Amino acid sequence: MNRPPMLMHLRIQKEEKGFGLWLPLFLLLLLALALFIIVLPLILIAILVLWPSGRGKTLLLIIRAAFQTLWSMRGLKVDFQSGPRCMYITVV
Amino acid sequence: MSESRKRILEMLAQKKISTDEAYRLLDALETGEHGEESSGKASTIVKEKPKYLRVTVLPDPANEHLEKADRVNVRVPMSLVRAGVKLTSLIPPEARDKVNGALREKGIDFDVRNIKPEDLEELIEALEDLEIDVVSSKGEKVKVSVEY
Repeated sequence: MNRPPMLMHLRIQKEEKGFGLWLPLFLLLLLALALFIIVLPLILIAILVLWPSGRGKTLLLIIRAAFQTLWSMRGLKVDFQSGPRCMYITVV
Repeated sequence: MSESRKRILEMLAQKKISTDEAYRLLDALETGEHGEESSGKASTIVKEKPKYLRVTVLPDPANEHLEKADRVNVRVPMSLVRAGVKLTSLIPPEARDKVNGALREKGIDFDVRNIKPEDLEELIEALEDLEIDVVSSKGEKVKVSVEY
């Protein structure tokens, strides 16, 4: 299993102005996990209510897919330059 | 000398088989031994799977306004590609038809329903030898490749 992403570096440069940001994804993931645990009873109720219509399974798959997508972001690098503007995102 | 070869030579010496037959048997034995060696080697070689998909768009070097030209360099982890393909199975049918319609308008005759998670590993294996190099009419170079 891949390790989850720990940090995200975001850098936006426009002509001579720019800023860089290091986001501690490990903290955000812990926060998201804590929030998920808090709303878990509501999510379970929603799944049970929507299950007969088939949407419950879809909701469950969406939650699973969202976690898988977040977990897989480690190693992502986006470098985009357009004239004097550039944007750089890297997930470590 | 292996036992099989020894037996073949003994049979030749005892004139139980002709020279031609002995030659064919030894040749077959050699081919079999080489086959076992290479399959043995192959079993110890683990084929490396691609880890990233790299997409780059570089401007034409002869461009007068090179510093203003667009450049794109994206590296996507294969695990993210897998997760993305799995997400397509969650697209609602109504949205799928709209996506197909939009693709057809751009001249891409492709149905997103054909993307199935079970074909994913085969698709990613096929990407191992993928390398796309396109030079547009404006001289921009688009390159798609995999990295290990």
